[in-house]
Amino acid sequence: MELTYPLIAVIGTLATSFIVSLFLPGIERKFIHARIQQRVGPPITSPGIMAPIKFFFKQTINPESPMPKLYNALPLISIIIIIILLLVLIPQMYFLGALTSIIAVIGLLKVEEIMYMFMGSLSKSVLSVRMPFPDRAKGAAHPNTPRTFFEELSSLRAFRLIAFGSFPIYIALFVSVAMTGSIYLTDIVAYQQANGPILFTLSGVLGAIVFFIGYMILLNEYPFAILKGKPDVVEGPYLEYAAKYRAYVYITRGFLMFTLATLFATLFLGIAPNILNPNFIITLVVALIFPMIMAVMSAFSPIFTYKQFYPTVAGVSIVGVLAIVAALL
Amino acid sequence: MDDNKENRTVIEAEVPMGTVHPGALEPYRLRLFVEDEIVRDAEMTVGVNHRGVERIMEGLPVEKANSLTEKICGICSNSHIWNSCRVGEIALGIEVPERAVYIRVIMGELERLHSHLLYLAHGSEVLGHETFAMRLFYIRETVMELLRMIGGNRVQYGSAVLGGVRPRCELDQMRIQKLSEGIELLKEKLNDFANRFVSDPLVMSRITGVGVTKPEDALRLACSGPTLRATGVEMDLRTGMYEYDSFEFDVITQDDGDVKSQLLTRVFENFESIKIIQQAIRNLPDGPITNRSWEMQDTPITKSYIEVPRGTLYHSYALEDGRVRNSVIRTPSMANIGAMQYSAIGHHITDAQLCIVQCDPCFTCTDRAIQIIKR
Repeated sequence: MELTYPLIAVIGTLATSFIVSLFLPGIERKFIHARIQQRVGPPITSPGIMAPIKFFFKQTINPESPMPKLYNALPLISIIIIIILLLVLIPQMYFLGALTSIIAVIGLLKVEEIMYMFMGSLSKSVLSVRMPFPDRAKGAAHPNTPRTFFEELSSLRAFRLIAFGSFPIYIALFVSVAMTGSIYLTDIVAYQQANGPILFTLSGVLGAIVFFIGYMILLNEYPFAILKGKPDVVEGPYLEYAAKYRAYVYITRGFLMFTLATLFATLFLGIAPNILNPNFIITLVVALIFPMIMAVMSAFSPIFTYKQFYPTVAGVSIVGVLAIVAALL
Repeated sequence: MDDNKENRTVIEAEVPMGTVHPGALEPYRLRLFVEDEIVRDAEMTVGVNHRGVERIMEGLPVEKANSLTEKICGICSNSHIWNSCRVGEIALGIEVPERAVYIRVIMGELERLHSHLLYLAHGSEVLGHETFAMRLFYIRETVMELLRMIGGNRVQYGSAVLGGVRPRCELDQMRIQKLSEGIELLKEKLNDFANRFVSDPLVMSRITGVGVTKPEDALRLACSGPTLRATGVEMDLRTGMYEYDSFEFDVITQDDGDVKSQLLTRVFENFESIKIIQQAIRNLPDGPITNRSWEMQDTPITKSYIEVPRGTLYHSYALEDGRVRNSVIRTPSMANIGAMQYSAIGHHITDAQLCIVQCDPCFTCTDRAIQIIKR
């Protein structure tokens, strides 16, 4: 009996989260993007459920990768990391101690980010393959220049994202740490249950804004889609994923959307994900609201280049630091 | 090949695009030479879509050849058939009835409207602003329906024929009223869009100061049309075309030569086109729409230049036994390719596609054999 309750809670939360996450891309595209753009849009199940199912039954291709098995394994590793991230947020797992701290959360998110870098650097698609002879067509100005693969370009950009692009979300995570004085999720949740959600304080509001921008950057959503901007880097790191591997990519994105929203609910509302807790409904609402706001913002924004990206990240990071200072005061 | 020796500078890497690339709408090959994602040099090659229209025109009866020119481009199809008929009319001394001239102008300006709106939508898409692109396509839909009403088709209207316009394109009272209402609606929608567009700080930050072409460079690169006017050079062939003698309009120019100027030039030109169409509707003369009293004769090579949505369009051919000989066509995108390459240099690689799109390329109709005469 002692084990049944936590098991039901953990498995039930994971299963519910997974099912809800499959609908999030559809909600984003059908109800927000399509409505704003005055078109019908895809069926709600199409991007998150039907597309992965379709891809599962397609014939796969071998990527032009130096390590094809590792390249194909990366989306699966991404899903596992996100599942672990969601697991450590569930209160029944707080017995794991340091693994359920903000530092562990940051570590897991960093690993998730590094995946994009690996994907990019391990993919060498046909789009950039060198011709077997010097390129001297029509008086070519630079015939022997080394070629860059689109995915390499996206890999470099992923590195830049790791270096500075993800500052906002990590700074936002420390707002709750500064407020509660503890890096452990259990303390952060307990503090908010006693003193009310951090979101309803000045530093909480600022932190939430910073968290949201960080959420968009991590999900590579417009206008921060520098990893897979249509005009130059098409699909970037995902370029060579086909069939079931692409299905994993689709599922990963939806699941990451849900998990990050859950992280927000835990850190800023004090509601840890637990299917057996009625407050779990608030987590679900947050998980729905986040993609909706993100979709509205992305529908009205062009893609940023570094010229817009750097100042935005710097500005948002400063707001995050101010939120931490306000929390400490 | 030895000519390239002096250009063999050390470039960090090349990012090749095309000829088939999901980010590009048309088949062309672009080599971007980059250093830390900044474009240091660019090289564009077209030629994979060569159809040899001029060769097919060779020996065809002139009426058939004129119809064939319409197939060169899906966007400015009317411009091609108009100019091709114009060559024949100049060569054979055919006087076009005034009412037909007005209808041709209306069709020409409607085509300019839909071309510019398509350009703006494509530009918005390349910017990553899909919502603007969708809205522009909706606005363009009004124009497409007007074109369909007059020409019977949304793409190939076939309005111009030797000596006038096709009877199908006659404007009766009902059509004139619909045209008038449609243009008013378009003006209103376009006004709303223009206000929204210029007041968007994110869009403005993406397009201001990007892809700058200086006027002297634009002239050196032989740019034409709105691409040239956006750099501040006031040159519009419509001011010299007899068809536009009875219309009042302004030649739109912008000063900066960047993507913003290019986009705004098209936006403001749309309002000028609306002005011209309204004048045409108001002053549409009565009378026949086709002059059939002309005789075929052999003529030497005759040239005609007209201002089309993308710039200067050139057609020339000779007539022999009623058949076309030595046909040469040059589309405006050919003249603007230099500016596309040039304007991308020094900018971020994400802006490269934007720099190309700002010159309103139509590579499919540009693909033809040319001989460069060095002077």
